[in-house]
Order: sequence, then C-alpha cells, then structure tokens
Amino acid sequence: MTQPDLRMSPPAERGRALTILVDGQPLGCHEGESIAAALLASGCRSTRVTARTAEPRGYFCGMGVCHDCLVTVDGLPNVRACMTPVRDGLRVEIQRGLGEWGGQS
Amino acid sequence: MRSAECVVVGGGPAGLAAARTAARHGVRVLLVDENAELGGQYYRQLPAAFSGGAGTHPVKEQAEGRRLMDEVRGLGVEVMAGAVAWGIFDQRTVAVATQEETTRIAADTVVLAPGAYDRPVPFPGWTLPGVLTAGGAQNLMKAYRVLPGRRVLVVGSGPLLLVVAHYLLQGGAQVVSLCEASSLRGLWRYAHRLLPHLDFVQQGRRYRRELAGAGVPVLTGHVILRATGATEVTGATIARCDDDWRPIPGTEVTVDADALVVGYGLLSSLELSRLAGCEHRWEAALGGWAPLRNRDMESTVPGVFIVGDGAGVAGSAVALEEGHLAGLSVAHRLGRLTGRDYSGEANRARGRLLHLQGFRRVMDEIFRFGAGIYSLADEQTTLCRCEEVTVGEALLALREGATHVNEVKAWTRVGMGRCQGRMCGPALAHLVARETGRPVTESGVFTPRPPAKPVTMAALAREIE
Repeated sequence: MTQPDLRMSPPAERGRALTILVDGQPLGCHEGESIAAALLASGCRSTRVTARTAEPRGYFCGMGVCHDCLVTVDGLPNVRACMTPVRDGLRVEIQRGLGEWGGQS
Repeated sequence: MRSAECVVVGGGPAGLAAARTAARHGVRVLLVDENAELGGQYYRQLPAAFSGGAGTHPVKEQAEGRRLMDEVRGLGVEVMAGAVAWGIFDQRTVAVATQEETTRIAADTVVLAPGAYDRPVPFPGWTLPGVLTAGGAQNLMKAYRVLPGRRVLVVGSGPLLLVVAHYLLQGGAQVVSLCEASSLRGLWRYAHRLLPHLDFVQQGRRYRRELAGAGVPVLTGHVILRATGATEVTGATIARCDDDWRPIPGTEVTVDADALVVGYGLLSSLELSRLAGCEHRWEAALGGWAPLRNRDMESTVPGVFIVGDGAGVAGSAVALEEGHLAGLSVAHRLGRLTGRDYSGEANRARGRLLHLQGFRRVMDEIFRFGAGIYSLADEQTTLCRCEEVTVGEALLALREGATHVNEVKAWTRVGMGRCQGRMCGPALAHLVARETGRPVTESGVFTPRPPAKPVTMAALAREIE
C-alpha cells in the first residue's frame, strides 16, 4: 500500500479525514468513501482470497452485484466493500476463504 | 405485512420518474432502493460527507438527479433507502430487507426499475484484481473521485466506453488505448437516422475529440484476449476481431496496464421480474432477455410494470419516459386518472418514446452484440466467480450429457454463489448453446429463487408482521 494516492480531486472536496484499520494497519481515508474506494485509492486492490484456489480478488462490478469485493468488517464476514461506507476506527480484514465470524479467519 | 398503493423498486431515472408521476396524481408511493442514496448508477451522487455534499456537482447528471430526487421527496413519496427488495411473492407482495430486519409489502401496483449491470464476459485473467467493469470504473470515478489505475486499458463496446475514458483523462490517468469491438464501418449509412438526434451525436464527438487530443489510440474491431499479472493486472493482450466479435488469430498485441476496464454492453437485471412470474423474450440486438410489456409498460403479470434498463437496456432518456408512462398507468389503474386524461398524456409520452427509441435502435445496430466474445475463455478460465467453477468443469458436465444451464448448475455448483448466477449465467448459456449446437434461447436460465440478493439470517428472523 505504498503506491501514490489515486484520489482525483483535491482533498478539500472530500469528507473529513479518518482512519480505518486494514488487517491491523491504519489506513487514512475520508468520510463518505466506501471501503472499496478507500482501499483502491491507496493501491490495495485485493479485498479477499478465494476459498477453493486461494486466488486474490477485488473490486469488479462496483455496484453490489458480483459479490467479489467481500471483506470482513468489525468481525462480520462477507461484507461488500463497494457498498459499505468507512467509519472512523472501522476494522477491515482482507477475507480469507469464506471468512469467519469475529474475523481473523 | 404492510400494504401500499404502489411500490417502486429502484431509485434510478426510471424508478424516480415513475414515483414522481404517480405521486403527482395522488398515488401513495413507496420507493425502495438498495443503495444508501437514491439515484441508481446514472444519477449516482457524491457522498453527502464530501464537502459541499449535495451542493457539489462536478457532473451534469448528478445535478439533474438531485433535482429529481428532491422533487420526488417533496411530493411525499416514502423512501426506503439502503433496503434490498429480495423477493416478490403472490405476484405483488414485495419482500424488503435492511441490515436489521425484513418486511413484506402487499402492493396494489408494483413498478420494477432494477436497472442493468455490465455483461460479464469470461476471458483468461478476468478475475485478477485491477480488472473491473465499465460501470464499476464509472462509479468509482463519478461518485468517489478515485481512479482505478494510472495506465488504464479500456475494452468493450458502446458509448459508455467513451464516458469512462473521459473520466480517466479528467482524473489525470493515461488511457493506454480504447478497444471497441464493433468495426464502426459505414457509419454514413446511419446519418439520416441520426439527424434528429444531433445532441447525442455531438456529445459523442466531443468525447472522441478529447481522446484524439490526448493521443489515445481508438482501435475499432478489437477485443481483449487476456489479462496478465501474478496477483493483480499488469498487462493485457488484445487482438483484432470479426463482426461477431470473435478474435482473429495472429493479430495479438500486448500492452502494459495497471488497470483494465471491461464493458461489453449491459444486461437487464431480471431477478425480480422472473420471481414475479413475468414472461421474458430474447432480444437479439441486445444479446439478452427482456420482459414482455404492453404499451402501458405493464408486464404479463397484472399490476406489475417494468421500466428503464431493467426492461431492455435503452439508456436514461428512455428510462425517464418509460417511468413517466408507468406512473400514469399506475394512476389510471388506481382510478386517479380518468380514461380521457390518461390516454392524452400517455399518448404524448409514447410519442416521445418512439422518437428516443429511434436513436437507441441505431446505437443497437452500430454496436450490435457479437456472441463471438464468449469464445475468449479457455478451459482453465473461471466461469463462476463465486463458486470458482472453470469453463472446463462446465464443459465436462456438458459432454456427459447436460443440455440446460440448470443441469450444469446441479452438477458443478456453477451459479450457486452469492451473486445468484448474475456473473456466470449469460456466459454459461452461450457455452451450452455452443456444445449442444442449439440456439442460446434453448439453453434456459437459472431458476429464479429468493432471496434475489443475500439477506442475513438475523434480518429474516426479525421479519416484521
């Protein structure tokens, strides 16, 4: 997650700055952004690893249809990153396989 | 169980227009939308938390959408946002779930305006992170103002690709090239039919000029072959294609890219119309199914109206007009509009629709869907993204005698995942057609089952009676 920021507009046009935790690491983002937008903006494109072949997957349809950008959020697995807004202190885990309640699958 | 005079499902252009017209005629309308904010994909707003929030409109359609939403709310339409309509029972009872609970609404009339999604086309590498749909790329840039990458390859067909490329350039990304599958040869033949629609044509030309100015190669008659990369996309191979969008061997070109946007047209979301029991027919020009409707926008199920891209993809202008017409029909059916008032207004709407459809038909001919695009996948390619079923596994089932998509589903788990077969169903139908030597219409469709979208057990357990 060291790539340059992919946000298009100047930061002033965004919501207030806040921090989420991605696999325990703090990630700066902005109120109003979806989890997917926050992850993609910082170059983090794999939101999960599949159950059967352990392939990385990420944001695909961007409108809640494909269910590929699933992450575990505050211990709840199978949350669509593209449809879920960030909140300060939100705990996001890159989901491994089918995920587990409580996180850390 | 609660009741309503009219439930509108979907808060994009079609649903908003239907809600507005019905409410103007005194119908009590309940509008359900899955997103936290109304607007659908076309009117998708900037998040309210972005400074200026509702007042900041970098895009024209966002301002248009905001006005329409304000109008709908001002007319007293009850809005359930962040609520997914996951089923329709007994023809017009709509099941709606939020994160916490689910409820059923017995409606006198239902207007379905579920919209469309990007046609999923399997090709080697299409599951790599960094490969995303044209709609997904547009949402990311339009709503969240985030680029999908720095060096972006855009492939697919249709005017939406130009819009995506426009956003990419605006955001400072490099568009490696734009590969349009259709050849766009002999466009002069359409000149007289496009003459009444110069505003649309000029918009397209502005986009093309912008691409030319930025030095973006626009390759017509080209398709994607594969995306490459270990853990995310780092490059792609493209090739020339024939008129059926089938790649021509020996014409491959490899390019570097850190994102790949794919948009081979849109497919109507038909889960709810199928659950309601509406009849559908194959639309060859669109390469997909669409519900049958009469001139009042009513489906084959009485009192269920279907409008917008969810009834055959035709764009936002048609969606607005169809929504208006359905709103009139609802008011008429509920006795709020007399026969004479209804026919006058409805006929004017039908006239405007006829005009707009003239443009859509030209677009459908120019960008006519080519089923050859489904030949890109090899046996190792993932067909079902949810259940991780490959094309080869589906072929095995077909070679052992399966002749229908539901048989392949039962044998391989294709289509049993969270997306409910939306991602694999269309490609599987074409695979079945190819292997059985029958037309794609004979492949069948996955049996629709509720919930149309995943609903938590907790929500189901707390169903409000």
